[in-house]
Formats: sequence, structure tokens, C-alpha cells
Amino acid sequence: MKNALLSSAALLVVFASPALAVDKMEVLDTYADIAAAKYEDSLTTAQLLQVAVNGLIADPSAQALQAAKDAWLAARVPYQQTEVYRFGNAIVDDWEGKVNAWPLDEGLIDYVDASYGGPSDENEFAALNVVANPTFTLSGTEIDATTITPALLENTLQEADGVEANVATGYHAIEFLLWGQDLNGHGTGAGNRPWTDYATGDACTNDNCDRRAAYLIAATDLLVSDLEWMSSQWRDDGAAHDALTKNVDAGLAAILTGMGSLSYGEVAGERMRLGVMLNDPEEEHSCFADNTHNDHYYDGLGIQNIYLGEYIRVDGTLVSGPSLSDLVSETDAAMDAEMQGKLSTTMMSLGRIKTAAEAGFAYDQMLERGNDAGEALIMGGVNGFIDQTRSIERVVTTLGLDQIAFEGSDSLDDPEAVFQ
Amino acid sequence: MKRLSLIMAIMAAPALCLAETPNILIPGIVDGHILPRFQALSDSTRALSETAQTDCDPTSEGLRAAYGTAFDAWVSASHLRFGPSETDDRAFALAFWPDSRGATPKALSILLSQQDPIVSSVEDYAQVSIAARGFYALEFLLYDDALKVAGEPSYHCQLVQTISADIAATSQNILDDWQTTYATTTQNPSPDGLYRTNEEVLQEMFKSLSAGLQFTSESRLGRPLGTFDRPRPARAEVRRSGRSSEHVKLSLQSLQDLAAFLANDNDDLSVKLASGFNLTLSQLSDLDDPTFASVSEPQTRIKVEIIQQSIEAIRTLVRDELGPTLGVAAGFNALDGD
Repeated sequence: MKNALLSSAALLVVFASPALAVDKMEVLDTYADIAAAKYEDSLTTAQLLQVAVNGLIADPSAQALQAAKDAWLAARVPYQQTEVYRFGNAIVDDWEGKVNAWPLDEGLIDYVDASYGGPSDENEFAALNVVANPTFTLSGTEIDATTITPALLENTLQEADGVEANVATGYHAIEFLLWGQDLNGHGTGAGNRPWTDYATGDACTNDNCDRRAAYLIAATDLLVSDLEWMSSQWRDDGAAHDALTKNVDAGLAAILTGMGSLSYGEVAGERMRLGVMLNDPEEEHSCFADNTHNDHYYDGLGIQNIYLGEYIRVDGTLVSGPSLSDLVSETDAAMDAEMQGKLSTTMMSLGRIKTAAEAGFAYDQMLERGNDAGEALIMGGVNGFIDQTRSIERVVTTLGLDQIAFEGSDSLDDPEAVFQ
Repeated sequence: MKRLSLIMAIMAAPALCLAETPNILIPGIVDGHILPRFQALSDSTRALSETAQTDCDPTSEGLRAAYGTAFDAWVSASHLRFGPSETDDRAFALAFWPDSRGATPKALSILLSQQDPIVSSVEDYAQVSIAARGFYALEFLLYDDALKVAGEPSYHCQLVQTISADIAATSQNILDDWQTTYATTTQNPSPDGLYRTNEEVLQEMFKSLSAGLQFTSESRLGRPLGTFDRPRPARAEVRRSGRSSEHVKLSLQSLQDLAAFLANDNDDLSVKLASGFNLTLSQLSDLDDPTFASVSEPQTRIKVEIIQQSIEAIRTLVRDELGPTLGVAAGFNALDGD
């Protein structure tokens, strides 16, 4: 009797499995729809930031500076959720440095505290201070920066002298211009730039308020135009959408590449573990605004919502469709349960960091030498990301995508190699 | 009858899942490649620590020789970044590089100028920033013109001794974990284990090979190369001790050994891999430039670029031929970010 039961159940499995109901192309469509929604949300929140920045410059006040900071924090919520698109899609990875490059030698842009130091072996222009210097020499070329424009930032200053830490554009440059350096070390508190850094006439503090204002406006305008460009790439006729859907299996591999590379090498490694091992409060993704707990949280959420095929937009509406989870579940339900479980565990760990930080235990404090509770919180997130990466590798195998080279540099730099 | 055989096949399937049949490659790699390297690391770092206890003078030949031998052992094991080397961030504590923000000299300067009492305990020193731990920090203390004479001499001496002892303790912990548990873990995959199948274990080893090649190509050679217009000889790994080229050699020799194990009885592939590695090693030997200072001169720079291209050719071979031969995918590694 037992045998008969086993055999009929087993036969059911054998004969039921070939008929796949989830269409792989629809999974890619959901992924692209969510990308379009996330980048549009990033754009609209950046436009609100632009309105707030223009308001600050037109009529500087403490309230206007705070409004701009609030708008910046809100803009980070959808943007961080897009980072999962980066390593799987060459078009995003090639562009990303313009908007989210980090870490930066902020002395390139504006005044810094004496403790910052000057030019270093690695970066001759670490303390260039463009705001204070209308003309300067860069790698032997005389630069006229009397008018600060988006083009100057983008074409001349960004990665000046081939040094990645020369970040002149994007969210973190704007963050520095709004908050200023965080001089609290491992203590609580973010950067505390006075609103009078943007005041006119005699009220101006730290000199060159007009040039600082011009820099802030140029950087914000550039962020908006960069996000406009990226959101158009994800429309149905856009280049990112095209590249993704050219080959269905390569498209699925791209989704998993983005999830795994962001989880392991980037967030768990470069951004979280390195910071705690170096005990360095500057090893914070948003070190000026003290918003690092949210950076990690929304990176994790972006990975989870791509897998589940469900994204809540900034207006509260839901974008959803057939998902990678559906596809995996159909092939191996236990694998899908494992993947979902791992993603949830990571989100729980990241939620702990976020709630502790919001209740007053700053990320800076967590990084301090000998702070065991902080280290345990951060390592909880790191371990979650590392562990979920193992399951992402298993999903690759489950879906039969093994032989698609999915390490970022291989598949992105040499797309043809994928199918050799 | 047909139906019966189907039932039997189905019934047999779960039994197969319980324990993997032993894989012939894995024990060979563990016993022939991994364990000897961590044994050598443990032995040589203990010798370094003992030498430092009696002789902490940065210019002492005995200390520098012990340091060089121990560092050689680390470079030869440095691609094995999984399991015991990742527990408690041990590999990071032994080797923090590249250091693009100059964290190591900064952290050491602060310790030396403030005479931070944490150096009096090897155990406590494990809490210190990884920038001030391990082989790369020790290189600054033994070879950097400013840091080898910085601070109060007895404090400097104690710092050298503590860092050496910390390196030895970390290396011993890695070896202990391999010997007591991890060698078994890799040879007994099971559905509820860390590794579920032999393929997952082989993938881990394959990833060590591919990530090791990537690191040597992109960091050890790529950092000093910079761009044609802006070469960066000052970014060469361990240039102060003149070991830059030696590290490329040692890493390639070690990766060649692992590649040969993984290619196993595929003679055609074994020959291709061996000739790729041998070519690269002979190009490196012909270059005869310990610190890659030659990246600044166009006529010699090209030779360094060619070495890098030769390593890239090995990477392609590994990805396109060795991976499919083993039936494993590239997987993710720590270098995937930016």
C-alpha cells in the first residue's frame, strides 16, 4: 500500500513537471517594468529635491536647507532599490558612477576641516576645493571654473586625474553640499553645515556662497538629467529593455547576476564588512547624512522585490507580475522557499540595523572599535547577504543557467562570451 | 515490468540524495593543495612571531627574512578565500590590500603617536582596525622610511611583536579549522550541510582559481599599470619591500597547481593550462622588475601589459573550458563589486 501510494505520488511529480506555466519572457517583462517604475520614482523624487534646492538658493534659511535635506533622504528610498539592476545590466553599470559614486574625497568640492589632510599619494586633488578656486591646474591643463556648470562637473571634475575618489557629481556630492563633513567621529550626529553657507552678502559663512550655490544647483540639475536618461532606457523601446530581452536565458542570468553581485561583493563586502573591520566612520555609504542604515536596507529590499516581482512605488501603488520566484517555484518549490527565506532573514537583519539607528544608535557608533553590539548588528546583515548569495548560486543551477558566465566583469565586458 | 523499474528508479532517487558518492578530485585538492599551504602558513608565521620576540629591529636581516618567508606562504594560500579563512574575517586580518585611502599608514601613525596600550595584548589587538593588522601593516613598520623609525622605539618594537603574534594566531586558527572540521565538510556534502553536492564544493575551488587570477591581473598588475597616460607605480603591491613581482610569481605558481588538480585527467586542457601559466611565468621572469617601476616607460610598460594579457588568456580558458569540464558555473566572488 505504501509503495502504491509512493508510486502514484511520484508519477504525478514526474508527469506534472514538464508543463511550465510561467513564461520566462513575462518574468523579464516584470523585471523591466519594475526597473522603469523605480527609475521614474528616482526621477520624480530627484525633481522634488531640485525644487527644494532652488528654493534654498532663492531664499536661504534653516528651514529651506532642512527641506532640501528631507527631499534628498526621500529621493534615496527609490534609488537605492534600483542598485540591484546595476551589476546585471552593462548600461546601468557604465552610468552608475555619475549618480552614486562613493567613497569620495570631498575636499575636491568645498572646504574641509583641518583634520582632513591635504593631497595624498593616491589623490593629488583631494583638497582642490573648486568652490574656492575659479581657476586651477589639473594634470597640466589650466581649468577655467569661473562658471560652475553641469558640463564642468561631468566632463572635467568627475574622476579628475583618473582618480575614482574625485567624485564631483551625484547623490553623495549633493549630500556633502547639504550636510557638510560629519566631524562627530564615532559619536552621534551627522554633518552640520550651517544654512548660512548659502546666505547672500555679509551673512555668507565659509566664503564663496554664490559659487557653492552654483555647484549645488549644477549637481542637482545633472542628477535629474541623468535619471531622466536612465528611466527612458527602461521603457519598452529603450536600450536597457532591448538588451535584457534579446536572449531569454541571458536575461534571467542578468537578473541573478545583479542580485548576487550586489549582495556579496558590493554591499556585504565593500560597504558593510570593510567598514566594521576598519572601524572607520568614514567607511559609511552616506557618511555626511548618517543615512547608511537606510542605504543598506533599501539595497536589500531592492534585491528581495526583484525576486518576488513586487515593487511598491513612491505613490503607494503596486507594480507586479510573473516573477523569478514563480519560475523557481515551478521547477523546485523547496528551492524557492529557501530563497524566499534567505531574503527575509537578510531583511530582518537589515531592519535591526535600521531600527537601532533610528532609535539613536548611530551607524558611526556601530563601527567603533570594541563596540560588540554594533559589530553584531552589522555582521548580521553581512552574513544574511553572504548566505543569500549561496542560494542565488543554487537558483542559477536550478534554472539551468550554469554555463552563463555571471560574474559581472565577464558577462558585461564580453557579452558574446556568454554563449561560446 | 516497465512500471516496476520506473517505481524502483524513483525510490532509488531519494537514497542518492542522502549522501554524495565520493568525488575523486576533492580529497586530492584538500590534501595536496590546501592543507599543505595552511600548514606552511602556520609554521612560518609561528617562526616569524618567535623571531620578532627576540629581534624586533626593523632593519634586522633575520626578522626581515622570517617576515618574507611567512608572507610568501600567505600569498601562496591567499586565493583560498572560503570557509576557515573567512571565519572571523581572518583573511582580511592577515591581508588588507589594496588600501586606496591610505588607511594602513594612517592607523599605524595613530597607534604609534598615541602609544595606544592595546598593543600589550595580542588577544585585544584583534579588535584593532584591519588596516593596522597583518602582513601589509608589518611591511610599513619594517620598510617604510617614515614608519620604520616612527614613535617611541620600545613601543614600535612591541607593535612589531604584537602584529607578528596576531598573524601567527590567526594563521593557526585557519589551520585548526581546516584540520578539525573543514576538510571533512568539503568531503562529505549532504542535503542539510554547508555544501549540498560535490559540485558545490568543486565550484568553491573553481571560484578560488578564477578569483585568484582576477586579483593578480586586476590588482597586482592593474593597479600599478593605471592608464597609459597616467601610470601608477606607487600603487604597486608591497613595493616598499621590493616584493611586487615576487607576489605575482608566487600567486601564479599556486594557481597553476590548483588548475592542474581541477583539470585532472583532461589531458588536452591540462596541457593548455600548463602552457598558459608557463608562458606567463617566463614573461614575468624576463621582465626582471621587482616593483613594476617600469610601467612608467612606454617601451617596458608594454611588457607588463603583455603579462596581464597572458593572465587574461588563462582566465578565459578557465571560464570557457575548465568550468564546463567540471560542470560548475563561475559563481559570485568578493571582487564582483566595484
